[in-house]
Amino acid sequence: MTDLSFTEEQRDCLQELINVAMGLASDKLARFLNTFVHLQVPAIGLVNAAEIPEQFRGQYQGLNSSMISLGFFGDGGLRGETILLYQLENAGKIAALLGYDDDATSEAEMLTDISSILTTTFLNGLAEQLDNSFSYAAPRVISSRDNDFISKLEQTAFHWQLALKVDIRYELTDYSFDCNMILLIPGEAVLKLKTILDNVLADF
Amino acid sequence: MALTALICDDSLLARNQMKKSLPAAFDAEIVTATNGLEALAVLRRQEIGVVFLDLTMPELDGVGVLEAIKAEKMDVFVIVVSADIQPEMQKRVMDLGALAFIQKPVNTDKLSAVMRQYGLI
Repeated sequence: MTDLSFTEEQRDCLQELINVAMGLASDKLARFLNTFVHLQVPAIGLVNAAEIPEQFRGQYQGLNSSMISLGFFGDGGLRGETILLYQLENAGKIAALLGYDDDATSEAEMLTDISSILTTTFLNGLAEQLDNSFSYAAPRVISSRDNDFISKLEQTAFHWQLALKVDIRYELTDYSFDCNMILLIPGEAVLKLKTILDNVLADF
Repeated sequence: MALTALICDDSLLARNQMKKSLPAAFDAEIVTATNGLEALAVLRRQEIGVVFLDLTMPELDGVGVLEAIKAEKMDVFVIVVSADIQPEMQKRVMDLGALAFIQKPVNTDKLSAVMRQYGLI
């Protein structure tokens, strides 16, 4: 079986590229929300995609979460799907701040907008550093205000081999919201990614 | 005696990128630190001319390092090299005494210009 695991150097390289991409995304988010985002070192984990639902079960069991998915396609077979998972406790406050109406439809719309800002800015930043360019599928709300999102996550993760799990906590000046971003990448794209990372590393 | 420069970043890739981005004309010995606490330990132990400082780091972040440098009145140039490009963050580090803010990944022309401006090359 082909080895999909990353060396420590590849992991460090990917983490730094993600930091830079996150910086761009947070800057965009801060401008959109007209506030300041406290950036923290993201916790990055590379795991078997099949383990993801179980990990989230422990973290989110019984909580209301929204899950929004965005597929991306790059050159040379690099592709995957990002899932943003939100805790909804502060969603109403953020929606009010941004002037969305106070109803469930508007909340979903707001989360789609925020997801779009976060993921496309993040992925564009990542693609640029990988000397690649991504195109995107339309964002898809997998579940909203749903206690049973774990099983839906399970169905989505089932199609993928590797999951790059990036835990991001966006702390805004007046409130915070928790957001997990998961990058799901199929096996052959993982091999492609490893080759690209090796090329980046060879340059330094 | 040649200048000693400190590169402080938690990422090995970023430290290597920074080393490689330094202008050839920059005559300095390079030491490294992988977080803010390590950076402060180096700064208290030996004379450092310039620090290339990342912001988002474990243990102690770059803002914490700048605050300590200010509080302890250390005589050192700090050039912030960060991915956290929010205008408010840039203002915060400049207010804390950083000479310049350079966005990651480092643009070598911008770095050279800043270093020339402050007589480092």
